Amino acid sequence: MGILEREVILCGIGGQGIQLIGKALALAATKAGRYAMLAADYGGEMRGGPSQASVVIGDAPLRSLPILASSAAAVLMHHKFSAFARERLRPDGLLLLNTSIVTDTVAGETAHQGRVVGLPVTAMARELGAPQSAGFIMLGAYAGLTGVVTAAGLETAMRSLLPPYRAQHGDANARAIAAGLAEVSSL
Amino acid sequence: MTELRLLDGCTAITEAALTAGCRFFAGYPMSPFTGLLEAMSRRMPEENGTCMNAESEIEAVNMVLGAAAAGARAATGSCGQGIALMQEAIAEMALNQTPAVVFNMARNQQDYFQCTRGGGWGDYRTLTLAPKDVPEAVEHTQLLFWLAERYRMPVILYGDPILAQTQVAVRIEPRDHGPLPPRDWVLDGSSGGTGRSRQVWTWAMGKATDPGPGPDRHWRAIAEKFSEVAAAEQRSESYRTEDADTIVVAFGTAALFVAHVVDELRARGLRVGLFRPVTLWPFPSVALAAATRRATRVLVFELNAGQMLDDVRQYVHDRDTVAFIGGVSIHESGLAFGPLLDAGPIRERILSASEGTR
Repeated sequence: MGILEREVILCGIGGQGIQLIGKALALAATKAGRYAMLAADYGGEMRGGPSQASVVIGDAPLRSLPILASSAAAVLMHHKFSAFARERLRPDGLLLLNTSIVTDTVAGETAHQGRVVGLPVTAMARELGAPQSAGFIMLGAYAGLTGVVTAAGLETAMRSLLPPYRAQHGDANARAIAAGLAEVSSL
Repeated sequence: MTELRLLDGCTAITEAALTAGCRFFAGYPMSPFTGLLEAMSRRMPEENGTCMNAESEIEAVNMVLGAAAAGARAATGSCGQGIALMQEAIAEMALNQTPAVVFNMARNQQDYFQCTRGGGWGDYRTLTLAPKDVPEAVEHTQLLFWLAERYRMPVILYGDPILAQTQVAVRIEPRDHGPLPPRDWVLDGSSGGTGRSRQVWTWAMGKATDPGPGPDRHWRAIAEKFSEVAAAEQRSESYRTEDADTIVVAFGTAALFVAHVVDELRARGLRVGLFRPVTLWPFPSVALAAATRRATRVLVFELNAGQMLDDVRQYVHDRDTVAFIGGVSIHESGLAFGPLLDAGPIRERILSASEGTR
């Protein structure tokens, strides 16, 4: 109580890298000496099923619930399975949308009173030559908008999470984080 | 201070168990306990320990009985369904005084009766700790290994899917709970006929040359030990109960959610508090009676059909104040909690039960 805890609900479909960016965010915060929690929720499917990660970062042992009662931010990589994130986002919260995919105008983002930032991250990732890195563009943007972790911290955490057979994607993911950060630096 | 590490509950418990000296683990996979078995199977060999993937829960718990009798800090686990199979061995360990830790990484809160009443035979109980979150599970795991050996008995950690899977930044630091009695009971490999052999035996009949106390004296001594534990080891948390009209009683992860709702309702001016049994057995009867002395309403929230409710009714200051606001709520997979474990529904249940006292 009275201690700032910053929550974000990251949601999308299986295959978009939601779990990886959620873990990178929580790990970057932990490595920076902050308290973090990552509550993951995903379907059994490898692709296309619901995938969600709630991340909380704070400067003291956390009080937030593993099923968030409300959230300071929501990141929608896909509109499918996004009802939880939309419902829990506080009215003054930050809503980040992947406008390459999330094009529906469900009451929520149009009616959302807080800040809405749309980035076509799926298209941007394709232009970067690394379509799998869309999530990291979004994560870089989230870091830039909130200052909750640094791009360098995210990159270190991301590289430590890649298994050896995916290590070749490290550089592209790092470029994606930087691209996301650059995209919001003028906002 | 050690560094913060981002660990899921199963991995954090594994690290805490290793820190407490656990070097033997056996189990059979069953979600969400599987995460604990996997973490143990990775880490035990690195610490010169042994982790066995047994062919059944019955085999696993009896491996632990053997390892513990031979002096290893040993543990097993499952979820409630698998621990149901272990009941005979748990009762044997309680009656033959073998220390062991049993991790119930349960699918829900429907194992309260199982861990507090047990399904074995004889006059025994299983001390059970129910952590509210991963940092507390780290503390409890180390405490449980100490309690198991202090009292020479099997003890239980009652977890759940959220505890097992949520990743939290934690510090794993060794804890000193005090000296332990000499381990003069540990079997050392001396065999019968050498004159030096020892017995770990539920019936305590002893040897022809060295008769034991026999079942009557032995089982009366065991019962006295459990009475001692019941008085000495009650643990609980009273949160904002001092001036509360309404006190909600909840344990484990459910209590974490109730505490959050208590803060919300306090901000609205409602005098609500939380009483949380930390030990499910021994139930914190003395503290519950004290905490509920001036409450006009005692609401029991648990994710089952009403199991802890029995203990609350037994020990509350005034039984007429007790109402049940929990219920069965299971995810459609059967492997996790259903929608009742959420701040909104809990708030609604507390509010509707508090109608008339506001």
